[in-house]
Amino acid sequence: MSDGPGPPRPRAPREELAEGTPHGDVYLARLIRAQLRLSLLALGAFGGLIGSLPLLFLLWPALQDLDLIGVPVPVLVLAAPLFPLIVVIGLLYQRRADALDETFRDVVTHE
Amino acid sequence: MIAAAAVVAVAAGAIGLGVWGVRLVRTTSDLYVASRAITPWWNAAAISGEYLSAASFLGIAGLGMKLGASVLWLPLGFAAGYLALLFFVAAPLRRFGAYTIPDFAEARLSSPHVRIVAAVVVLTIGGFYLVPQLKGAGLTIGIVAGTPYWVGVVAVAALVALTVALGGMRGVTYVQAYQYWVKTFGIALPACILLVYLGGLPERAALFGHELPHAPADGLVVKLDDPQRVEFPTDARFTLDGRQMRASAGEERVLKGRLVLPAGTAVPVAEGTDAERGEDWARPVERSGPSSPVFVYSLLLATFLGTMGLPHILVRFYTNPDGPAARRTTVRVLGLLGLFYLFPAVYAALGRALTPELYVKGQTDSVVLELPQAAWPGLGGELLAALTAAGAFAAFTSTSSGLLVSIAGTLSHDARRVRPRGPAAGDQPVERMRRFRWAAVAGMIGPALIALAARDLDISVLVGWAFALAASTFCPLFLLGIWWRGLTARGAIAGMAAGGLVASSGIAATLVADPSPTTLGALLAQPAVVSVPVAFLTMVGVSLRDRERPVGTDETMLALHGPEGLGLEALRARG
Repeated sequence: MSDGPGPPRPRAPREELAEGTPHGDVYLARLIRAQLRLSLLALGAFGGLIGSLPLLFLLWPALQDLDLIGVPVPVLVLAAPLFPLIVVIGLLYQRRADALDETFRDVVTHE
Repeated sequence: MIAAAAVVAVAAGAIGLGVWGVRLVRTTSDLYVASRAITPWWNAAAISGEYLSAASFLGIAGLGMKLGASVLWLPLGFAAGYLALLFFVAAPLRRFGAYTIPDFAEARLSSPHVRIVAAVVVLTIGGFYLVPQLKGAGLTIGIVAGTPYWVGVVAVAALVALTVALGGMRGVTYVQAYQYWVKTFGIALPACILLVYLGGLPERAALFGHELPHAPADGLVVKLDDPQRVEFPTDARFTLDGRQMRASAGEERVLKGRLVLPAGTAVPVAEGTDAERGEDWARPVERSGPSSPVFVYSLLLATFLGTMGLPHILVRFYTNPDGPAARRTTVRVLGLLGLFYLFPAVYAALGRALTPELYVKGQTDSVVLELPQAAWPGLGGELLAALTAAGAFAAFTSTSSGLLVSIAGTLSHDARRVRPRGPAAGDQPVERMRRFRWAAVAGMIGPALIALAARDLDISVLVGWAFALAASTFCPLFLLGIWWRGLTARGAIAGMAAGGLVASSGIAATLVADPSPTTLGALLAQPAVVSVPVAFLTMVGVSLRDRERPVGTDETMLALHGPEGLGLEALRARG
């Protein structure tokens, strides 16, 4: 993959990455896997939350007929509180994803 | 009159900002992606402004009044789509630095063929998303100014084509951000003021479907200028043009003239309206029918995965300076959309109580426009109606111009002969800008003609199709292209073709034949739950059997996922 035989000195990860050596690819593959794992985790958290609601309402019909402050509970649940929750999930994900990038940058540049 | 003035004021503001934007436009790079230097808040407001279309502003409330709580899944999916975009697409795609989806497809898979397929899909989704916006324009301008349908369509089509052709995206970014706030105030302020004015939910709205919508205490008068087929849910006495008549439960009648229903009579509903009865109206899920679990999950899937594949949304992410900024922008978008989507449901609940005549006319789509004056007769209601009219106007103009930017970009970029390498290759900026402007005008003509002809097509059907199509084509292209090295050009083409075909044939079947309230009917009307897996499996399957791997996948992966500030720019310049 690399352009020619490199010099014998130990090479920085940054160079390996820039030249696309097998070593550099391993670093990158590790980052991609970590990011993907985080994304799937966040997806699972969100999907479990929203995705379980239709089933919950369906399997527990009493919930559909329950009123809270004059509004049916399912309407109340769907109309408002899920939107802030989505923002919170997004915010948590963003922090973690930026941190993963940060760690990678530290590993690759400070060695 | 006040409403017309508000619409004119919004339009003037948009044009003013567009003109102001023009003076900032220097190069083609500005024209396309606003130099990638707009702050996350501006960007988030612009993305939200572009995204909140006539379907969000008018459609959700209208459908909610018609079908009830099952419609609440729709705004949830619309907002959550940005979560999928955030998790899988926003940062990598921004780093990659392609201008459009076809650019991404070609550069990632090193194949001009996949670019052409992607361009065709962009034009299809964009065109079909544009039609219902123009239709909404025709209806809204018709209500506000009393003009025929075609006047609104033509006027808005011309206005949008002009803004895009003259301002490009730099102008449009500020215009879109401004439009977001016009829309949010336009829907939130009237909703809040009406709730305060009415002292909370009026008695009949608070019943949440425990009763059928019925005529208020002083009776209900509906003027039917055209013959209207309606169904009476219960036995009813009424007068039509002064003649006493009666109808029995379940009876269908064709009515024309001045219909007077005495107090407490359950209103007849227009054919196709199928206002849900009784307590079902307040239930988000049922065992069968339009809120069956299959339909709900399919809808959630289409909106969740389809958002990332809407061509006019992604192009806006390139105006973020880098990957982390793209993430920050997306989180802000989630907040801004969440704020907006709190309010359409208010109109649906109030509309069921206060504007039952819309059920008779089959025009629940205009509840946002008509509710203020019905709830608060007089100057107050008129002022609030002016706000909602201005918001509706902002909704379809902003989405239309966003769509037109991507349609014009694709037309001017891809309709020419395929060039071997990425976006910046070769030709003169002036020439490209000229081509973009012509493409903006040309790209509007087709959808405008369809909108003129397709007055009766349901807004939500077309918008739903666009989402299902995007989820079955571009979503797998992005997810696999960004996260899986093994995707090949053949796999991508086969997957997009398979997913697009399954999704389109389902929708086409629904358009041709009336949907039946069965599981199969739900699947045809909202095919994402089938077409998305088909697209993914085809892409993976064909790619695995394909020996012809795209060149430079390692560099591509580094460009997609490598964090900023590694000092690897030399490599990317070389690649």
